[in-house]
Amino acid sequence: MPSQSGKVYGLTLLCPILDDPTAIPSHDLQIRGHLAELSTGPDSPFAIAPGTHLARLVVLDDVIYVGMPAREDHLKSKYLVFESNCDGDRDSYLKGLADTIPDELDNIWKHCTGYPPGGARDRGAFLAYMRKCEIETTFFFAPVNNKTREETLRALRTKQAVAHFIATHQGMPPAQIQRDLLSLCDRLASTPAPKPAAVHVQRAIVTGGRNE
Amino acid sequence: MSKLNASDIQGFALRGYNMPFARFCFLHFPDAPRARTLIARLLPFVTTGQLWDKKPQSTLNLAFTHSGLAALKLPLDTLISFPPEFQLGMKARGAILGDIGLNSAEHWDEVWRTGHVHLWLAINAVDANELAARFNDVQAVLKETDGATLLDTQDANAIVIDGQLTTKEHFGYTDGFGNPDFEGVCRDTQPGQGKLMPDGSWAPLATGELLLGYADEAGELPVAPVPHLLGSNGTFMAYRKLHQNVGTFRTFLDHWSKQYGVGDDLAKQKLAAKFIGRWQDGTPIELSPNQPDPGVVKDPNRNTNFMFGKDLDGTRCPIGAHIRRTNPRDAFGFEGKLVHRRRISRRGMPYGPAVPPGDKTDPKQIDQVDRGIVFMAVNASLSRQFEFVQQQWISYGNDAHQGNEKDLLIGHHGEGEKYAIQGDTTPGNPPFFCTSLPNFVELRGGDYFFIPSITALGMLAMGLVDPR
Repeated sequence: MPSQSGKVYGLTLLCPILDDPTAIPSHDLQIRGHLAELSTGPDSPFAIAPGTHLARLVVLDDVIYVGMPAREDHLKSKYLVFESNCDGDRDSYLKGLADTIPDELDNIWKHCTGYPPGGARDRGAFLAYMRKCEIETTFFFAPVNNKTREETLRALRTKQAVAHFIATHQGMPPAQIQRDLLSLCDRLASTPAPKPAAVHVQRAIVTGGRNE
Repeated sequence: MSKLNASDIQGFALRGYNMPFARFCFLHFPDAPRARTLIARLLPFVTTGQLWDKKPQSTLNLAFTHSGLAALKLPLDTLISFPPEFQLGMKARGAILGDIGLNSAEHWDEVWRTGHVHLWLAINAVDANELAARFNDVQAVLKETDGATLLDTQDANAIVIDGQLTTKEHFGYTDGFGNPDFEGVCRDTQPGQGKLMPDGSWAPLATGELLLGYADEAGELPVAPVPHLLGSNGTFMAYRKLHQNVGTFRTFLDHWSKQYGVGDDLAKQKLAAKFIGRWQDGTPIELSPNQPDPGVVKDPNRNTNFMFGKDLDGTRCPIGAHIRRTNPRDAFGFEGKLVHRRRISRRGMPYGPAVPPGDKTDPKQIDQVDRGIVFMAVNASLSRQFEFVQQQWISYGNDAHQGNEKDLLIGHHGEGEKYAIQGDTTPGNPPFFCTSLPNFVELRGGDYFFIPSITALGMLAMGLVDPR
């Protein structure tokens, strides 16, 4: 079934952006401005709300003509693209967003055509709007597998802890390795899952340009 | 694509000369007219890609930085048509390349810090006398024309072991395998060197991955300057002087090999092989995981003819091994197609005195001696090929499923990095981690160069570059 891959749902929304020549700056620029300010760390609304593995928001102005033999084509509107790989199914995920980050959702989607005036707090209208904007998802973010967000976060921590364990226990007597490994397992099992987006690895290199 | 006009292409761009001595001269132009005279006087001696009936005693090649082309007073429309990374130069690309910390420009040799290098003049020679003779000739032309100031030179030479010239580098590995084959470059395709075809045969890569003016693997012309004639049959080079901390490397290998496998000499050799992906004699561990095999090394049908697709767990060749990170072949799936546009041709050569095996000098003192490898990568697109490999495959590990871990050998390591060697349940091939990674290699400078065709050198010499 498209959009559902085991425990993970792929939600793709295409939401037309308000086309109002009197709005200065235009609604698409207002969304861009707002998105640019959103955190990507643990205080990101999508880290606070339950269930998001990865979410991406893109303003799609138009399709770009790339030269022969492409056909020149244009969109009827500017769109906000929302892509998310999330736990469960669509409606429970959207309800989770509406419960935890209604103001953040409104601040983004208020620039879109047909978004309910009552916003995310008008639960029925909000769900109906989002369903209407949905298109099928057939590709998922590559590292997403059939695990929930919490299971994934735990697995990542386990992987790091085990790698560290091996690096520090290599060559030790088997009895000690066994003792320490059991204690590591206890520790991992009794510690709550890490918070989403809490691990921030600062990459020293600058990326960008045509070489990626 | 049929045959290339090899007599219009600088030989250095097409192939390695396989000569054991080299001197790289770094020059600065005082003004455009005198510089043009110098180029005109050197032009008849520039070595082309024509095949040799008789091997010459020495060769001569020229390449220019962007500031060198500006000093030649090329038209602005031409200067700004070069790819941006070449216009900026290697120092300005430091953040993209991960040339940080000990590798940052403040630690470079004087000649590369100042940014005054305009011209790279390379002499390769069969022996030291021939090198000196050719260098004297060049100096005479410099004196006569006053066309450039010699800022510095860098000598490089093959390492001699037991009186024999070798293709070893300072860490002890046999180097120089695996340059890609390109369409039209007159040579039989060596299995493993080009691209794997669906029927299992090997075909050369598109010429445009090496030279400007030809279609590349995407069927497009690589970004090249205007006029077309200036770029065609030319290419770009990244020149990097890589200092090697041989003392640190040997200490590291000694330390970890005592804990690896059964801890004997073969285990040490094997650990060294697991770092790179080749035994120190050059045998690919993918083909011979348990011991070196001189038969494989000598056989051009086998010494680069291997894939990683059946070793996705890295139990033969570790996933992070140097040759696997820098040329992943089919390790990322898609029959290896993902690497076709990321291939570089290497023209490396060691510099500085070799350290004899078992040398008891204090490792720190060994590190202090000026030695390493002059690494030169030739490619049509510095950003798509050299810079991509350096940034994504050496300074970052995601494609190789290594997270933030950098290349063991030439990466600039931070705290907490480790090198994972995958293994199996046999005692001779255990899984193993090396931690506390030191920096084995430090960048001491370099820059990006344009290697023009013979025609383009003539245009430069005669002031004929016209972008209209």
